[in-house]
Amino acid sequence: MVTKIVVVTSGKGGVGKTTSSASFASGLALRGFKTCVIDFDVGLRNLDLIMGCERRVVYDFVNVISGDANLHQALIKDKHCENLFVLPASQTRDKDALTEEGVEKILNDLKHMGFDYIICDSPAGIEHGAIMALTFADEAIVVTNPEVSSIRDSDRILGILQSKSRRARDGQEPVKEHLLITRYSAKRVEEGEMLSYKDVQELLRVPLIGVIPESESVLQASNAGTPVIHTKDEDAATAYQDVVARFLGEERELRFVTFEKPGLLKRLFGG
Amino acid sequence: MSKPIEFKAGTLSAMSAVIRELDNVRLSDSMHTMLGGLGEFFAGEATVIDLTQLSKVPDHADWTGLLSLLRRYGLQPIAVRQAPEHLVASARKAGLAVLSSDAARMAGERNVTTPTAAPVPVAPPPQPAPAEPQPAQASLDMSPPATNASTMIIERPLRSGQQIYARGGDVVILGGVSNGAEVIADGSIHCYGPLRGRALAGAQGDLKARILTTSFAPELVSIAGVYRTFERGITAALAGKPAHAVLRAKGNDGQQTLNIEPLQLD
Repeated sequence: MVTKIVVVTSGKGGVGKTTSSASFASGLALRGFKTCVIDFDVGLRNLDLIMGCERRVVYDFVNVISGDANLHQALIKDKHCENLFVLPASQTRDKDALTEEGVEKILNDLKHMGFDYIICDSPAGIEHGAIMALTFADEAIVVTNPEVSSIRDSDRILGILQSKSRRARDGQEPVKEHLLITRYSAKRVEEGEMLSYKDVQELLRVPLIGVIPESESVLQASNAGTPVIHTKDEDAATAYQDVVARFLGEERELRFVTFEKPGLLKRLFGG
Repeated sequence: MSKPIEFKAGTLSAMSAVIRELDNVRLSDSMHTMLGGLGEFFAGEATVIDLTQLSKVPDHADWTGLLSLLRRYGLQPIAVRQAPEHLVASARKAGLAVLSSDAARMAGERNVTTPTAAPVPVAPPPQPAPAEPQPAQASLDMSPPATNASTMIIERPLRSGQQIYARGGDVVILGGVSNGAEVIADGSIHCYGPLRGRALAGAQGDLKARILTTSFAPELVSIAGVYRTFERGITAALAGKPAHAVLRAKGNDGQQTLNIEPLQLD
């Protein structure tokens, strides 16, 4: 198959880009696709922590761009999935080290290595690093929290995708956009404290690929260095599996978007 | 292994900056007046500096200054058309391709019938129409590449941080205008979808311009400089509903007020 490049982006920081990149890439690899996930957050590398490979980082993205190492040396094989590789960001350099030619060459090399999917974990903001992450994208997953500033920033980054991506600049078919809502609390929506997923979608007008419920297990999984999609019997994990399924064209109903009041027994004896 | 470089001929549509007075100070003033504080007004569009209507040929040209002036507004000058002979060398030195008006004509028009090996002598270009009776006025004519309609149509949503300007006409937006986006038109603004950003119609003072939308929720509307914000929200009768903004004369003193009125769509 033709390699697909997917950028995971948001504009705003702290909404769950890296968490989503890690779980999404893992989910594709679990489905048997040869997948590479690249940390574009040069200077603030996080992805290796979430993926639990921080102790194995020798060479990084910037080393490969500057020719100090080759891709084979820098790619780290994931410990959970057979088909998943991580290209970590550099901690010591800054984002200007990413050149458009350098990034393009690495992506092309990965294509030649037979990767099915390349997931680009974008840094926050709309500056150089974020632009580099989205420039070569075929599809984009825009991660948004159900609150106004996150929605505004997502809107901004969607505009930038339309104007600055290679597809837009070359006048090709535009980057395919997906909306991923994270940190969703059906209970707070019910209580009128949070925007509903329908409100968010109505404001951004981008097809919804999934809603990830707010969950403590996401934090636990991050601390343990295991992407949350691997956690058994966990809503957030199931929600990410649904995202991967929908991305691959399967029909899945939305889950975890309605709040059911706990029954009397549950309230008495705990969940 | 693919070849590291290939050369391909292609045509390119470019913005033309028709310059009638090659005087950077006057151009700068004129652009500032036309485009206001809208730095980066154009989005890095390839631009041909068109000197076909030059009213007075100067002895020398400050290309560097002119290029940086154009770049300040987000134009990317690539070439100069019909530069006077004595300015050709300096234009090349400044990094501009020099197009003869013949070449430009051949590229722009498709009425060259018989392809022959030898260059066909082409009649001299038609004399440009005499400039408007204000020769002292420095002016820039920037028209979008070949479109027959004066209406600009935007088929994708206009997102936060994006800005469009429909010069000399109307704009139709098919995907809505997000909060934080801005749409400006010399004519009217027609928005099919939620209008949530800023909308400024009649930017050159057309009092008859209107702003029409199927879902009224803007941050600001302005017609010919008469504007209104919605600090305390939009009345429930209009919010998210089809509506239009229009200037209506109030009383006998010609005072215009900006009215927002519901639209009946069905």
